[in-house]
Amino acid sequence: MADREGTLAWLFLMPSVVYILALVALPFLLAIGYSLSDVTAGDPSFDWVGTRNFQRVFEDPVFWRSLGNTFVFTLISMALIVVLGKVLANILVADFRGKWVVRFLVLLPWTTPVALSSIAWLWMLDSIFSPIDWVLRQLGLIEGNMYWLGEPGLAMASVIAVHVWRLTPLAAVIMVAGLVAIPRDLDEAARVDGAGYWRRMFEVTIPLVLPVAAVAALFGAIFTFTDMAVVDVLTNGGPNNATQVLTSWAFFRGIDGGDVGQGAAIALFLFPLLLAAAIAILRAVRRLEVR
Amino acid sequence: MTNRRDFLRTTGALAVGAMLAGCASEEDAGPGGPTGAPGGAPAETFEEPSKKLSGGLSILLWSHFVPSHDAWFDKFARDWGSKTGVDVKVDHIDQAQITTRIAAEISAGQGHDMIQFIAPLSQFEPSVLDLKDLTDEASKRWGTQLELCQKSSFNPSTGKFYAYSPGWVPDPGNYRKSLWEPAGFPNGPASWDDLLKGGGEIKKSKNVQMGLGMSQEIDSNMVLRGLMWTHGASIQDANERVILNSPETVQAVEFMAKLFKESMTNEVFSWNAASNNQGLVAGKMSYIVNSISAWRTSQGTNPQVADDVHFVPALRGPAGQFAAQHVLYNWIVPKHAANPDAAKEFLLHYTSNFKAATYASKLYDFCSFAERTPELNGWLASDPFGSNPPDKLKLLSDATKWSVNIGYPGPANTAEGEIFNTFVIPNMFARVARGEQSAAESVAAATSQATAVFDKWRAQGLVGKG
Repeated sequence: MADREGTLAWLFLMPSVVYILALVALPFLLAIGYSLSDVTAGDPSFDWVGTRNFQRVFEDPVFWRSLGNTFVFTLISMALIVVLGKVLANILVADFRGKWVVRFLVLLPWTTPVALSSIAWLWMLDSIFSPIDWVLRQLGLIEGNMYWLGEPGLAMASVIAVHVWRLTPLAAVIMVAGLVAIPRDLDEAARVDGAGYWRRMFEVTIPLVLPVAAVAALFGAIFTFTDMAVVDVLTNGGPNNATQVLTSWAFFRGIDGGDVGQGAAIALFLFPLLLAAAIAILRAVRRLEVR
Repeated sequence: MTNRRDFLRTTGALAVGAMLAGCASEEDAGPGGPTGAPGGAPAETFEEPSKKLSGGLSILLWSHFVPSHDAWFDKFARDWGSKTGVDVKVDHIDQAQITTRIAAEISAGQGHDMIQFIAPLSQFEPSVLDLKDLTDEASKRWGTQLELCQKSSFNPSTGKFYAYSPGWVPDPGNYRKSLWEPAGFPNGPASWDDLLKGGGEIKKSKNVQMGLGMSQEIDSNMVLRGLMWTHGASIQDANERVILNSPETVQAVEFMAKLFKESMTNEVFSWNAASNNQGLVAGKMSYIVNSISAWRTSQGTNPQVADDVHFVPALRGPAGQFAAQHVLYNWIVPKHAANPDAAKEFLLHYTSNFKAATYASKLYDFCSFAERTPELNGWLASDPFGSNPPDKLKLLSDATKWSVNIGYPGPANTAEGEIFNTFVIPNMFARVARGEQSAAESVAAATSQATAVFDKWRAQGLVGKG
């Protein structure tokens, strides 16, 4: 058996293939089926309705708002995650006293369950007892309360900030792998040639880390795009659907509202968008690697 | 100096503390909360099943806002099982997860034999048993079922009792006497106009706001429907036709915008279900609409605030005095249930002993068959759980007169449920209060959303033809 590489390869691959088929492909096909049917939470029987669910989704202004919000959240979060991830990665690779404590603290947001950390942020952003407001008041920067989750702009900023806070450590760890893979002699050669810190950063380090940064961006985008926990805990999509995203709207329509068909139609919009984003980023990575 | 172990220990303790606090129920009685009068619990009786029972019975229900209720219920169910020879298993989960769980169990075609939720479960009608026989039997034994409970468990367009509704919870106004007395309302507001005058005065003179939410959460949904009904507006009429776009709705929306400007802050757009409770208990709100559980919480955590919190019935408006129920118990028996006979017999036994549920929930749960809780008015007149003054809850004796179902004046149908869960009404009010739309525009937009939802469920045969 050990000599039959083909069989062995399939044996090793099978668990992953089965896992992907059972937990990704099957639910995906099921979602397509649901979106073309009149399946409800109370009636799982399948009756073909064609594209009716999609037509209703298109007529729903909340869907379009959710779609726009999803893009805004994802793009802004992705940009911030990559930039802050790079900054954090530089700190993580530096050698200093107490670096293990710093690394532990930096990774804490990523290792904390998202529901738990979102609840902690809910308290931090509370309309009455927000400690952030208290600090700002003590500093004389505000007089009353900010109502972080009650103003559309602040609520969106809060949701983005929590996404960035919890995903930046992941991006940082990915980028640390890229940073330590850069041959030291390149950096040293640049130093000998008289390049300063910023020149080395922008002309040596960042170009070499870009493929890895793209992977970090891809992860950040996927995790933000497909997450509903942060929105669900912090704002429930409010105020007035200002922070509603596709995932939360699909859930409210499909499960809480009982219209599984329409919920599935909304959720399916995640797929082409994520696919396009993944293809674009992976192609960019490949191009950078070739260069 | 703090060493690494101390640091990890502290961090761990903080994390566990945060987790426990996060898991605490919305309206937990809290440490030191009222534990009830010793020996005051009513005696329970055994309702003999009409036939020999056997097998198992799995029950899924919410984790009650008053934790003492769950301890009572679990023992009550086990005792019934041991007397009837049924192996009873009870699971409690957070109420926010129940509809998701029901949808999963129905989709899988297996799961619990009976499930309870705190709002109408009309969306599951096609997959649950018709409980007409159970409701008829209960009515035969204990008299007429409260109308709001019947309208929240019966679909007139299909003639099916998709649920059995033995209980409900009223939703009175909660006000701080020390704030309302100087404002000229020693007994709290009686009408929406009183609320506007008194609430505005308190905000101006004491800088304490009112807490009526316009957020994407349950309490906002409740209070704003109450405001609409008292102005003669509603989403549907008694025949399930959408009538939201009316001058009465516009008037209610305009009134709320004015009330917001004079007595509230932007925090009401950010609220979750616990926010108004927290604000009241912390002494930061002059008036909220909620059940008695927030006040019960403060009896344990802040007795001074508890003594200062008083209650008023639903506020009067130009078209009457209405409030939505706070909680509406729906028990469903899915078609896949293995032991429906045991489920129905248990529910009859449970209804028969509802006074024990009322007592264990510290007068939170009310029965839909008034005859089953003859002690209720006495308890409300002299609270066995330490109210000061003891008759603070007496006004709830009349709660059935001003409480109505979600969907009033029609039934709590599936369309009303989806509109409730997608927050069409709170957002209709919020857009105007924030100055984003005129009242007429906002009502028209909400009507368009509501009509689409009604049309969809009407096509499925679950909503009347109007």
